Amino acid sequence: MTGQRPILLVEDNELNRDMLTRRLKRAGLEVIAAEDGQQALDLMRSDSPSVVLMDMNLPIKDGWTACREARLDENINHIPIIALTAHAMEADRLAALEAGCDDYATKPVDFPGLLIKIGKLCK
Amino acid sequence: MSLRRRLTLSLFTILILFAVNVGTHFWGSYARSESMVAYRNSVEAGQRSTEIEQLLDNQWQQIQVLSTLRDTTDDQLEADELLQAESEVNTITSRIRKLGSMSHDITQLHYQKLWQTSGQLLTAWMDFYRNYNDPEFKIDLNIATIYKDTSMRLEELAQRQDFIAQQRANIIDRTIALTDRITVIGFLSSIFLTATLGFFLVRFTNLSLKRLRTGTERFGSGDLDYRIDNIDDNGELGDLARAFNNMSDKLRNAIYDVQQAKDTADDANAAKSIFLANVSHELRTPLNAIIGYSEMLHDEMDDEGEVDRVQSQTDLSKIILSGRQLLSLINDILDLSKIETGKMSLHCETFKPDEVLTEVCDSLTPLLRDNNNTLKLSDFDQLPILYNDVAKFRQIFVNLLSNACKFTENGYISVSARKHDERPGWVQFSVHDTGIGMDAEQQSRVFEAFIQAESATSANYGGTGLGLAICRDYSKLMGGTIEVVSEAGSGSTFTVTLPTDPELALEGA
Repeated sequence: MTGQRPILLVEDNELNRDMLTRRLKRAGLEVIAAEDGQQALDLMRSDSPSVVLMDMNLPIKDGWTACREARLDENINHIPIIALTAHAMEADRLAALEAGCDDYATKPVDFPGLLIKIGKLCK
Repeated sequence: MSLRRRLTLSLFTILILFAVNVGTHFWGSYARSESMVAYRNSVEAGQRSTEIEQLLDNQWQQIQVLSTLRDTTDDQLEADELLQAESEVNTITSRIRKLGSMSHDITQLHYQKLWQTSGQLLTAWMDFYRNYNDPEFKIDLNIATIYKDTSMRLEELAQRQDFIAQQRANIIDRTIALTDRITVIGFLSSIFLTATLGFFLVRFTNLSLKRLRTGTERFGSGDLDYRIDNIDDNGELGDLARAFNNMSDKLRNAIYDVQQAKDTADDANAAKSIFLANVSHELRTPLNAIIGYSEMLHDEMDDEGEVDRVQSQTDLSKIILSGRQLLSLINDILDLSKIETGKMSLHCETFKPDEVLTEVCDSLTPLLRDNNNTLKLSDFDQLPILYNDVAKFRQIFVNLLSNACKFTENGYISVSARKHDERPGWVQFSVHDTGIGMDAEQQSRVFEAFIQAESATSANYGGTGLGLAICRDYSKLMGGTIEVVSEAGSGSTFTVTLPTDPELALEGA
């Protein structure tokens, strides 16, 4: 796909982070990972990823706050964000979109579906 | 005053006025007829007096003539002529007697005088006739004087009778005028009183009814606190107003009760929804790992080339770990649900709490080591034997100690137990740590299901957020309590107070 710019995976749960990183890599994507919202913002600014997969329940700075801050930062507000969360209610989807996410995927992740979403946003 | 009293009073007043009118009428009639009889008597007596006067005058003239005739001639009178004359005198006597029966108190004196003089006169006349033919008989020379006296007395009596008749006539006139006046006054008073009483009765009733109507309307339109105030009436309408207020109180309480029940039900419903959303969230996290790793392993097997067996095994063990985590989560949820629907029961047996605590601490040694914590056990020698559910006792301390290990790094965790100072038969168990601690707000919610002191905490420290909820419910079920004392940044102390026998808690309740 992009080849040059990596995908940023923000996930605090070690197992899930390990699993998704490896699967994305197997799908041919370059992946960098962050463990909390602040780290995510820092990496967005320094590495300019092509798309961000963001868990919402994060330590230090949660996903919603990180999204809002990213949208206010001119340097990184163009980077698409896909919310990735175990909150599966309609209200949770709306909260994520309202925080500034471009798309939304629930856990357990439908991996082929996630790849399609990534593909759409990376164009 | 009550409505009934008012009505009764009005009725009585009108009846009394009516009675006064009727009484006046009868009294008037009686007085009139009485005076009329007296008047008629007086008039008749007057007439009779005149008749008697006439008769006396005639007789006197006859006697004068006869006397002159007797003196001048020797003519004798025939016996029948004399008898005729005597009977005439007797007639006069009886007439005068009859007049006496018609005279009354006021004329009695006059009549008696008349009766005396006339008696003398008539006796003299009778003597005159009886002895007329007796040449020796000398006529009484006083007779003329006596006749004059009698005439005068008769005159006086007649005048008296006239006067009385006049008086009676006056009384009749006065009585008629008085009864007329009383009747008119009574009639006018009746009309006035009826109108006034009617007016006040209607006005008073209207006012009371209006207040009742206002109350009903206000209450009906939702003003549940509206009450009819200043009820100074002790009658039926006052009773009605008080009954209305009473009903309003009861209705308002009932409505509040229903509202409260509804709020409670709504809260419970909302709590259930939140619980369900939380359950869904908590189940998805381990499932994500299970499905993700499984799909990845599946894909790797499809790939050509060597499968990295060591890597695959590590991945499989992660699947197993997540699966177990999922299972323990489901068990916790089921336990909690059982407790909250009242289906969890106690299986009591006798056990030594110090042995169980030591056992629990030993089993958690690996967890202690993870965060480089040191465990301190206090001296348990003095502890009594408990008769309670040992499995739940164990679970409480596994949960408390796991939490302590999870939220403490490079610190101390201590477990202590002692008999309660003030309540004999009760034991206090404490788990103290030097971990991250909680502020007051966090402490107030820490025993609720799926609450971890900070939402981000769960991400940092893992766990389901059900451990303390289970501790709380188990402690309660076992007849005891659980409390927390904590300060943000300097650790927490959880204290479980349990009875040596659950019966103790029932006695205390």
